[in-house]
Amino acid sequence: MRLIKSALVAGLIAVPVLATAQSGEDALEARHGYMRMLAINMGTLAGMAKGEIEYDEAAASTAGANIAALSQYGAVALFVPGTANGEIDESDALPAIWEKPEQFAQKFTAFAEVASGASEAVKGGQDNVGPALQKLGGTCKDCHDDFRKPE
Amino acid sequence: MSPVREARRARVWDPALRAFHWILAALVIANWLLGQFGPNVMTLHFWLGYSIAGLLLFRIVWGLVGPAPARFVSFIRGPRAILDYMRHLGKREPSLWPGHNPLGALSVVAMLLALIWQVGTGLISDPEDFINVGPLADQVSSATARKAVGWHHLGGSIILILVLLHVAVILYYRFWKNEDLVRPMITGWKWVRRR
Ligand code: HEC
Ligand code: HEM
Repeated sequence: MRLIKSALVAGLIAVPVLATAQSGEDALEARHGYMRMLAINMGTLAGMAKGEIEYDEAAASTAGANIAALSQYGAVALFVPGTANGEIDESDALPAIWEKPEQFAQKFTAFAEVASGASEAVKGGQDNVGPALQKLGGTCKDCHDDFRKPE
Repeated sequence: MSPVREARRARVWDPALRAFHWILAALVIANWLLGQFGPNVMTLHFWLGYSIAGLLLFRIVWGLVGPAPARFVSFIRGPRAILDYMRHLGKREPSLWPGHNPLGALSVVAMLLALIWQVGTGLISDPEDFINVGPLADQVSSATARKAVGWHHLGGSIILILVLLHVAVILYYRFWKNEDLVRPMITGWKWVRRR
């Protein structure tokens, strides 16, 4: 656990350095991949909440843990300057991200706070998945509302 | 409002249409606010949206088989009638029109179409938050479902503009043309030109 923690911390410090060293396209691709990974795990939970996927405590808990792990990744650093919507193809990132960086970072923090409890929250039965999913999804929406172009 | 000599009071708006109007107004305002400022979990927004869909369905049926002033064929007019009506628009006198005037009819149609658009795009929207997914989003491609969020957003702005225009014109009639259009929509009775 200590090892994982220090690896994560090292990652958090290393990422900004790496990201700035790389092209905007790489950062764009990476953050799309990051969001897609969130979406895949959210999809598992949503499927279970709706009963489209049979509830499986281990699988639900893994999805929650994956989201929590992703929430610890320093994704803010993937939003390098010059990659806003209009500046680079395929970007839905609103300029507000660079105009209000603290607020943007705060949305990630809020998401990470909810995500940290997700793996536990979805245990104990299908009934627990819906409420946990709503809390998680609320933080996705909160950020997308302000910082992602609706298209 | 003061009666004009060559005018008479007539029953213009039937009770169902009046109820439709005020319920629709309340629900659209509420749902617009919920969309813009409501909670992240949009369950109530969805339910109000379905209710609005039901009201729109009623209005379409009523526009085909309802009483004359409610019927589309009675108030949707050509460019000639519209231009004709517009020549009197600036005059400081009541229109005494027995129903929707030819210009106002455009606003009625625009609002109904915008609301149909709004319900349609809402139903197929997938904002990728996994909690507010439109119930028919899986019936279209995921690219369309994503675009629908943008269309729905655009629809919200269009509805805001149309509603503000609607209210502004009613104030214009009230204070410039000295004609109260609100009371008839409450009581059903309106001063109309004697024929
Ligand atoms: C702190 C802000 C923030 C949070 C929290 C957030 N997102 Fe995003 N998301 C964005 C931004 C900004 C974009 C647009 C990125 C771009 O196109 O460059 C985006 C894009 C996406 C995309 C589209 C990616 C693509 O391929 O175009 C998906 C899917 C997505 N987010 C899912 C999620 C999910 C699911 C969550 C919650 C579990 C979430 N996001 C939480 C900011 C956020
Ligand atoms: C006529 C009725 C409706 C009105 C006036 C309305 C209005 C709005 C508005 C103003 C927003 C905020 C848009 C934005 O800022 O991006 C919104 C969001 C939304 N609406 Fe509606 N809406 C209506 C009907 C519906 C229906 C019927 C559904 C689906 C069943 C729906 C689903 C959604 C969803 C999923 C969002 C969130 C989009 C996002 O997260 O960005 N709406 N609505």
